[in-house]
Amino acid sequence: MRYLVLFKTMLKQEFILMRRYLFNFISGLIAIYIIFLLIFLGARALGGGAPGFGATLDAIVVGFLVWTFALFAYSDMAQGMVREAQEGTLEQLYMSPLGFTRVCLFRIVSSFSITLTFNVVILLLMMATTGRWLHLDVISLLPLILLTLAGVYGIGFIMAGLALVFKRLESFIGILQFAMVGLIVAPIDRFPILRYLPLAEGSRLIRGVMAEGLSIGTLPIGDLLFLAINTAFYFGCGLLVFNLLLKTAKNRGLLGHY
Amino acid sequence: MTEPVLEAHHLTKVYKQRRGNDVVAVDDISFSVQKNEVVGLLGPNGAGKTTTIKCLCTLIGPTEGEIHINGADAIKSPRLALKHVAAVLEGNRNIYWRLSVRENLEFFAGLQGLPIRQVRSHIDQLIELFQLKEKERTEARKLSRGMQQKLAVACALVKGTEVLLLDEPTLGLDVGMSHELRFALKEMAQRGERTIIVSSHDMSVVQDICERVIIINSGRIVTDDKVSNLLKLFQASAYRFEIEGRLDEHQASRLQERFEMLKISEPDYHTEIEVELINGSQIYEIMEILKAGDSCIKAIDRREPDLEEIFLKIVKGGAN
Repeated sequence: MRYLVLFKTMLKQEFILMRRYLFNFISGLIAIYIIFLLIFLGARALGGGAPGFGATLDAIVVGFLVWTFALFAYSDMAQGMVREAQEGTLEQLYMSPLGFTRVCLFRIVSSFSITLTFNVVILLLMMATTGRWLHLDVISLLPLILLTLAGVYGIGFIMAGLALVFKRLESFIGILQFAMVGLIVAPIDRFPILRYLPLAEGSRLIRGVMAEGLSIGTLPIGDLLFLAINTAFYFGCGLLVFNLLLKTAKNRGLLGHY
Repeated sequence: MTEPVLEAHHLTKVYKQRRGNDVVAVDDISFSVQKNEVVGLLGPNGAGKTTTIKCLCTLIGPTEGEIHINGADAIKSPRLALKHVAAVLEGNRNIYWRLSVRENLEFFAGLQGLPIRQVRSHIDQLIELFQLKEKERTEARKLSRGMQQKLAVACALVKGTEVLLLDEPTLGLDVGMSHELRFALKEMAQRGERTIIVSSHDMSVVQDICERVIIINSGRIVTDDKVSNLLKLFQASAYRFEIEGRLDEHQASRLQERFEMLKISEPDYHTEIEVELINGSQIYEIMEILKAGDSCIKAIDRREPDLEEIFLKIVKGGAN
């Protein structure tokens, strides 16, 4: 019951803040759409007439969608923690008797609901712009997106923990966002070892559902299992490292200092 | 005597430094606070007040020692202890600036796992107590600093914990706002519903709302007594003599040789001697010095020291 109250509290706060930062939300939407337009127009100028360009476009749309999901997941965790520390509310969150890790997890789930709304709008805009209407099998997509993002949240947890101890990591955190592009477009078919990195396998499976019309039932069970284990590993490691760094910050009296 | 709701035993916090110049912020301090007691934590900058408060609310892990809050071990089971303690740290930085007054209060209740319907009337009471009714729908960022600090205290109170820790609640406030917040804290303290520990530079806040004061210097407790006892103790030893005319040089130098804590001033056509006596018999010595110079004593009275003066004496080691 108390956990449900905590979850509802975090969810309500996310929605209120989204409403208060509506301009920020809309300008973010426009900025992301403009980036996509530039990529799309660039790709069309380079290979618009080539056979199979449609498939390339599908890959761009899916890749871009996964990147925006990952971008929000990562920055919510890492930059969100830095912001809370700067604003002085981190210590209050830490003092919840329901547990700081749980507070963070509930915040992730709450902010994901906002991200989902944002990304649905972006996806519709992208599909309308390219004229490529992808398969939107929600039953297959939602678990795949969640499984893919959980790994990213793990990395976000590590960055957040590092920021608590070492401070001033904003630029590093910022640069790492772009490294995710590399993970999304990783050529797993040519270099299978890249599957072990976060995001890579999940992004490939999402592409299979959206661009090739596969469903979660038709995806190889081995691939799904691999994704689940890969995500559990990165998420688990993220949580573990975060808790260790949190303990270090606590022992050094750094919690809340920024 | 009621049972202690908060106990700290041999609390020590050492910050390790790279070159071995470790900083001992809190040095083996022990104290306990009874239920509904209001205790002031005083000390100069860097004395260890904030570290102590942060250790008590589990934000800093002590190097050694034990902390029990309502029976819960705050070091081994911090989550259990956090059911019983809330804290306001760094004044107005503990609230969400983009949430309104009411939304902040609801958020912090939820953070404690308390459903809104259960705390609604409590929130209404707090809004009334802190005179925030007119601003309850206003975003915190649009409030004055004083109002933000009142909101931060209200957000800590809404959690309904037995123990409340306040670190510098009036820091940065103007006289009027400080007085208003002090009034709200005093009213809350007088209701006797909470155990409160206040750390402050503002002695008048502590003198006004606290029954007991713990003075920390260089990480150690130098005094732990009731405020009234300290005031009485220092009142008994502080005297003011009013003399007609001026003292001669011989009298002034004898007084200065004999009494360390002495202040001679010469307003208008008379002389004032303010002196701290170590024992009652010293008053006769002063009389003799004055008599030897044929000084005419117009008045003798016991000075009313305030907590600030007492604090300075204790911290500077001048108090015996």
